[in-house]
Amino acid sequence: MKKLLGTIAATAAVALALAGCSGGGGGNAGNVNPSGEIKPRQISWLLSRPADGGVITTMKQIAADYAKKHPGFSLNLITTPDRPSYIQKYETLAAANKLPELFDTDATPFAAKLAKQGRMIDAEKLLKSLGLYDDYRPAALNYQRFDDGSLYMVPFEFQLEFFWYNKALLEKAGVAVPTSLDDIPAMCTALRKAGITPIALDGQDQWPLERYMAYHPFRTAGPDYITKLKKGDAKLSDSTGTAAADWLNQLGQAKCFEDGFSSTGYSDAQGLFTSGKAAMYNIGTWELGSLATDKLDPSVRSDVDYFTLPTTKDSVTAANEYVSPSGIGMAVNAKTFDPLVRDFLKYALTEYPKRYAATGALSPTSNVETTIPDNATPLYKKAVDQANDLGDKIAMPWDTQLDPTSNTRLQQELTLLVQGNIKPEEFISTMDQTIQQNGPKAFK
Amino acid sequence: MLPSRSRLSVLVFLIPPLALYCIAVLFPILQSLFLSFFEWDGISDLQFVGVENYVHMFTGDTVFWRAFFNALGYLFICLVLQLGGGLVVASLLTSLRRGREFVKTLYLLPAVISTVAIAFLFARIYSSDPVGLLNQVLQWVGLGDLARPWLSDVNTVLAAVSIPEGWRFTGLYVLIIYAALIAVPAELEEAARLDGANAWRIFTKIRFPYIRPVWITTVIMATTYALRGFDIPYLLTNGGPGQSSELLTTYMYKTAFTSTNYGYASSISVFIVVECLVAVGLIFVLLRRKADA
Repeated sequence: MKKLLGTIAATAAVALALAGCSGGGGGNAGNVNPSGEIKPRQISWLLSRPADGGVITTMKQIAADYAKKHPGFSLNLITTPDRPSYIQKYETLAAANKLPELFDTDATPFAAKLAKQGRMIDAEKLLKSLGLYDDYRPAALNYQRFDDGSLYMVPFEFQLEFFWYNKALLEKAGVAVPTSLDDIPAMCTALRKAGITPIALDGQDQWPLERYMAYHPFRTAGPDYITKLKKGDAKLSDSTGTAAADWLNQLGQAKCFEDGFSSTGYSDAQGLFTSGKAAMYNIGTWELGSLATDKLDPSVRSDVDYFTLPTTKDSVTAANEYVSPSGIGMAVNAKTFDPLVRDFLKYALTEYPKRYAATGALSPTSNVETTIPDNATPLYKKAVDQANDLGDKIAMPWDTQLDPTSNTRLQQELTLLVQGNIKPEEFISTMDQTIQQNGPKAFK
Repeated sequence: MLPSRSRLSVLVFLIPPLALYCIAVLFPILQSLFLSFFEWDGISDLQFVGVENYVHMFTGDTVFWRAFFNALGYLFICLVLQLGGGLVVASLLTSLRRGREFVKTLYLLPAVISTVAIAFLFARIYSSDPVGLLNQVLQWVGLGDLARPWLSDVNTVLAAVSIPEGWRFTGLYVLIIYAALIAVPAELEEAARLDGANAWRIFTKIRFPYIRPVWITTVIMATTYALRGFDIPYLLTNGGPGQSSELLTTYMYKTAFTSTNYGYASSISVFIVVECLVAVGLIFVLLRRKADA
């Protein structure tokens, strides 16, 4: 028995030692200009972006050019486009203190802890020291900031999220483009009556439905609502939250989303819209290539248009303020930051905007013009120009704001609410309780 | 008693796998047990919380209990399909005169297909918009009213995610049970038949008692596999809608890798280990007692 106890104690000691390995490991987060020689080697970027997308394609070209001048240098891009899988990978690597030189992250509570521990380079200081800070669109940088205003991530894209719609289908149902969020339920009822699926939604990935949760409070109470709510300083049971839950309930009752939306994936949802079966589709400018070029099905091409997030009656945010994310940001590992990483970033971030804009995408900086592709429809230019007419406030996606436990629960409860499996009151009470339990300790 | 040289050889051959087992199985279990008394997000210091995780799990976490009962439902459906279905198919196979190998291969096929492919396959079968195979068949046979989005309906989703898992391994249990059934001495069955026993009586009095040891093994295998079931529900619905298809395993995974609450996830994993041990113990006791009776 004594031997057994001894073994257990020894195992526990080893486990404790292993667990203890995880913490720390930070470098000097504020030292953005380390001294020393530039010694070329391979550096890695753990990222969550499409493998054939504009960011990776552009960065590969830039890295190849840099390697020509610095033999021995290479950029190893390790991408996991599926976001939940990526987050698991990145958080596990962070726990093991094995993050590479560069890694993607949103401004989550987890990332805030890493920043607090000095494990990420101060991006504002870095960009200023490279003389690039002023080139960035303020909205692109603000999207990456933590609640205290600090900046630890560099944006690589800039997107605007629109409601794409099919003019012919709206006309067939005899409805106009909604001017208020509160017009949408009635519009859905009319479209359903005409045998049309009102809104195509990728329910499987859950973030698209969570956008709808963010919309009503952003209009009625502004962007501060979610920053208060996530810490437990505001409640969904107040008038703003109740109105939002009621609105979502109405969307559900009016059958706004396709049947079985919770198990519909990204491409199936997009397919519903591009094949002319669904009248509306809420997605960002990263899909311009599919929705505003000749790749779009000719049968719907001339019918597709978009509108921005409608306001509400007493809206506190302007019509030109909506979801305009700069995507997941890139953080720089403080532990591995050296003259080479700095020099490569200087070259890459200087070169990046013009090369990225040439792919037809919106750059996170305002010093370049986006190239409109030859196969674009007029909608492409309209969408790109829309970026110059943006207000100051950003509707932050709630999945980047809430603590992960509350976020997971919100995504689950939202589906139940919109499917009509729970009532708004149950939704509110469950969520308030969950946020109260998890929010304050995540943001302390 | 083995001579000392043989004993040494036995030890030499037994110790490496035993050591590997301790490193790969026992150590992680003990580490989970240790972590379950802490609150830990992976990057901050461990915070000792005593049995708080267990108290919360048993008394304050409704999702945990929902996942537990879902796991029991999942287990039930898997067992019915794998053992019940397996036994029926294996019994029918023994009476088949030709094409046995072909049928066996056909039944075993799903067990060798990758889980991700199976999940995609069933996502298509259950789909409502675009119309999937199941809903299409229901329309064709005039049962269109029953058509629904199977993976989005809170009343059908648990069965919908359990069936692929059950279906997938039925062939494996068919093979095991079939091998046991063909080992039953034909003379015994022949004698019983001459004495006027019907097929059911032959099955319950001769065949089943004869295959009982194999049956115990298959029940234990199927039960522990189903209690650890994770991939198909995770890929098909990620536990949704709501928590309708959340199993303890998917909940534990999310708690660890999405919420980065490794301490609480460890207490759920300890519960899963205990649950599996209790299930195996119960099966042994129940089936042995029956055999002795």
